[in-house]
Amino acid sequence: MIFAQPWLLVAFAALPVIWWLVRASPPAPRTQLFPALRLLADLRATVESPERTPPWLLILRLVAASCLILGLADPILDPGHGLPGTGPLLIVLDDGWAAAADWPDRTAAAAAAIAAAGRAERPVALLTTAPSADGRAPAIEGPMPPAAAEARLAALTPLPWPPDHAAAARALGSWHEPGTAVLFIDNGLRDPAGDTAFRAALRGAGTLTDARAAGTAALLQTPVSVNGHLILRLAAAPQRIARSYDVLAQGSDGRTLNRVTITLPAKAGAAQAPLGLPTVLANGVTRLQLAGSPTAGGTVLLDDQWRRRIVGLASAAGDAADAPLTGPLYYLNRALGPDMEIRHRPLDQLLAQPLSVLILSDRPLAPGPERDAVARFVQRGGLLIRFGGPLTAETPDPLLPVHLLQQDRSLGGALSWNKPEHLALFPATSPFAGLAVPKDVTVSRQLLADPASLAAASVWATLTDGTPLVSAAPLGQGRIVLFHVTADADWSSLPLSGLFPEMLDRLVRLASGIADVGGDARLAPAEIMNGYGDLGAPNAAAQPIRVDDLPLAAPSPKTPPGLYGPAGGRRAFNLGAVLPPPEAAPTIPGAARQDLAGTRAERPLGPWLVAAALLLLAVDLLASLALRGALKGSGPRLARAGRAMVLLGLGLSMARAAHAAAPVQAPMQAPVQAAVQAAVPPCALATCLAYVLTGDSTVDRLSHDGLASLSDFVTSRSAAILAPPVGVSPGRDDLSLYPLLYWPIIPGDGLPSATAIAALNRFMENGGIILIDTEGGDSGGQGSGAGM
Amino acid sequence: MDAALAAEALGGTLPPLLVAAERVAATVAQGVHGRRRTGRGDSFWQYRPFAEGDAAQRVDWRQSARSDRLFVRETEWEAAQTVYLWVADGAGMRWHSAGAPPKRDRAVLLTMALASLLLRAGEHVRLLGSAPHPASGRPALPAIATLLGQQAGPERGPHGQGRPPEQALPPRLPMARHAHVVLMGDFLEPLSDIREAMAYFAAIPVTGHILQVIDPAEAELPFRGRIRFEGPGRTPKGVAGGGILVPRVEDIRAAYHERLADQIAGIAAIAAASGWRASLHRTDHPPGAALLSLYEALANR
Repeated sequence: MIFAQPWLLVAFAALPVIWWLVRASPPAPRTQLFPALRLLADLRATVESPERTPPWLLILRLVAASCLILGLADPILDPGHGLPGTGPLLIVLDDGWAAAADWPDRTAAAAAAIAAAGRAERPVALLTTAPSADGRAPAIEGPMPPAAAEARLAALTPLPWPPDHAAAARALGSWHEPGTAVLFIDNGLRDPAGDTAFRAALRGAGTLTDARAAGTAALLQTPVSVNGHLILRLAAAPQRIARSYDVLAQGSDGRTLNRVTITLPAKAGAAQAPLGLPTVLANGVTRLQLAGSPTAGGTVLLDDQWRRRIVGLASAAGDAADAPLTGPLYYLNRALGPDMEIRHRPLDQLLAQPLSVLILSDRPLAPGPERDAVARFVQRGGLLIRFGGPLTAETPDPLLPVHLLQQDRSLGGALSWNKPEHLALFPATSPFAGLAVPKDVTVSRQLLADPASLAAASVWATLTDGTPLVSAAPLGQGRIVLFHVTADADWSSLPLSGLFPEMLDRLVRLASGIADVGGDARLAPAEIMNGYGDLGAPNAAAQPIRVDDLPLAAPSPKTPPGLYGPAGGRRAFNLGAVLPPPEAAPTIPGAARQDLAGTRAERPLGPWLVAAALLLLAVDLLASLALRGALKGSGPRLARAGRAMVLLGLGLSMARAAHAAAPVQAPMQAPVQAAVQAAVPPCALATCLAYVLTGDSTVDRLSHDGLASLSDFVTSRSAAILAPPVGVSPGRDDLSLYPLLYWPIIPGDGLPSATAIAALNRFMENGGIILIDTEGGDSGGQGSGAGM
Repeated sequence: MDAALAAEALGGTLPPLLVAAERVAATVAQGVHGRRRTGRGDSFWQYRPFAEGDAAQRVDWRQSARSDRLFVRETEWEAAQTVYLWVADGAGMRWHSAGAPPKRDRAVLLTMALASLLLRAGEHVRLLGSAPHPASGRPALPAIATLLGQQAGPERGPHGQGRPPEQALPPRLPMARHAHVVLMGDFLEPLSDIREAMAYFAAIPVTGHILQVIDPAEAELPFRGRIRFEGPGRTPKGVAGGGILVPRVEDIRAAYHERLADQIAGIAAIAAASGWRASLHRTDHPPGAALLSLYEALANR
């Protein structure tokens, strides 16, 4: 413990004077009337009795004075360690993403060091190792006065990118102040680039203290999708004990959809756990975040590529549609694979639920509500994939990308000379571009498009003779794709080939609308994380990023983590995707160690001591009053003294709040709460019956006893729990609290007052029940409520 | 108008006082067995055979005619004497400590009860120094109660007109010789003053009884610490105007007790010197015991 104002302790020299003064002035005597005064008259001289203050009061006052002197001398408990050296203090603060989790500890350690420097009147310089948000490389600020450094420290926030230790080492190289005390507040993680130089530069700058956290910074890596289920991955520097982390899966509205616990075993650097949500909910997850202390590294934003598509299948074939090997849906089911969620229901039920892709296998659309519903689905951004077939050829409808000729074309049949056609290579503009075309896929029958209508549609796949196999056309925000063959093996061998699942996969991914952005396109930053993983508007230094660079970009002020791209196709850039797994940094040889988590904040005792002194003086005041007899037996005086004490307590708590060294203690507010609770009528918290007070104690007691028995009966026989009944005076008490009012009318009672009648009327209007008991008297007579 | 109001207020308080006095008196009356002896009086006591030396006119001829012997009719001794009652008044008498009644109230209660007992026994009861009133028979008691109340006067405030008259010692008034006098008060005056007052009574001569009524706080001095004592009424001689400042009451308690014992002993000595009796009553003790001893002392005279 140290004193911030040690010279004030000189005032202790005045204590003997205070002792003498307090001792010499006894408390004022209390006055007592006494008839036998004459008998006391000359006893005064005979008895030797010094007029002095009682010793306990003397001690009380001396303790109060000591508390006051000590408090004004501003003692500080747990002060920071003394600073080595005699020159300035250089604080090197890692403010990268890994510092966010225990940022308050870091700033507390820095603030303690600055306070110590302030007491020693040494200047302070500050170096933050991460590039600043406007893109400037790390540079030493200062030396500056400790007060300015404190303000500067308060303005610092953790940044969402890793520290640049190489640049920090260069900055340290320019520091030449003799006797510097260097406090390195370390994030404890190894920086692959420039760590060695940085550590050497740190040692060279002055006497080094390494304040290091326990290394709890964990990196939430981008999840992987296995069989359509998201697996969460987490990496952290290995430690000797097992740790567990909670990951919150949050929706776009901030709701937490699931909480997953990932346990990191001892000495392991990575762990994983499934997200464990059904697809509909999993699609709603936009953000994964480590619970507890949020950081940019503990936050993963999920964009559309993580979304599972829901595919609806419908055909005209009914129950036979998914018969093995013969039904068309059998092949589609197999081709779509386990990554998709497939629903096979009647068309109207499919459209009633959220759907990404609708696949119709030779299913003509009846004009009217059905066709309109499908058209609406496509216009709102859905992908409609249709397969041809005999029915489609017979009854073509407008929801097709091309105009079909009435006649389908048969190749290699018994009556034709030509052979079944092979597939041509996919055109470069097609989403199938790049897929290998197997030689054994043949088409023996196909729907033919009106060549005139092909101009409006795009052809994504053709046969070797140039006739379209897959044609597509946009409609509204969505798209219609037509396979000119059936989904089963009747018309072609395409459903049997390995090409079919790949084509369907490309098509289904098309439904998200992100696949057709070229690799060279630049995505502008839309929303940028801060150090705590919260999204905000991008700052000026943030620059657009190339799509191809996205998985490899180094997070920096220019390319901060966050969401990039236009509103429809946001791409997420996460720290967890690009940063290597965290590794514990080796200790710096020759540096004094300081445990960051173990540092206790300086606790100034001054305010408490002053408050204690004031309290003791208040006690002294009361004691003096009691000695003087002013408190004896008089209720109002006691009440006044009690009120004075409460006011004093409030004043103390306000003084404490004004001093603002520590939060106001809650117990001080207890009297206020008690006062508030005292004002709440008991029946506001529990249901109870009420009776009207007549002023006749016998009748009132009878009412009370009767209603009490009734309440007991109701409580024991039903689910209602009734509190003891309450006597009320209508017009004076609030009747709104009571469900039933028992009103015994005793003969000779006049009409109730106007306010009472108004209150009773209001009670009745609001659904209250009044039980009027005339006790056998005339029910029509005066005072029986006839006036109401 | 004022007096009427005061009388009305007093009338309201009188019946309870009378009832209380009668109640106290009744407890004593049942315990009285004295005075069963011959003496001068009106009521028949016994017949006894004529003896030598009896006056002839004392022979009860009607009784004697029934037999051959002469009988003398004896009457019961009758204290056809006047008993003068007096109660001290003043701020000191009105004072009381917590939990005890005012000394004056207790003294008035005892006076009334004693008067009730005496009137039942046929004595004449007069209030010393007050207006004339019926002295015997049942109507005397309400009159005495009224007079005692008037003597008390309406209490209007500590410094107003209603300040009680300071009458710490009995007045020197002419009274019947050989009467009995009962004086009640706290008798905290200097012993010389008391002796002087008593000398007047001894010269008349009358005999009587001094009942010293004191408060328990006066008897024990229970206070602690630093206290300034002030007199309730006028400040007695020899005491500074601001009262007496006692630094520690505990220190003087023993000396005070000694001095109080001296005062009580002094009063007893003064009473004995003129053939009186003296007794002490504390207001926290029940009034019945004091009344019984007082009545016995009067009856066995």
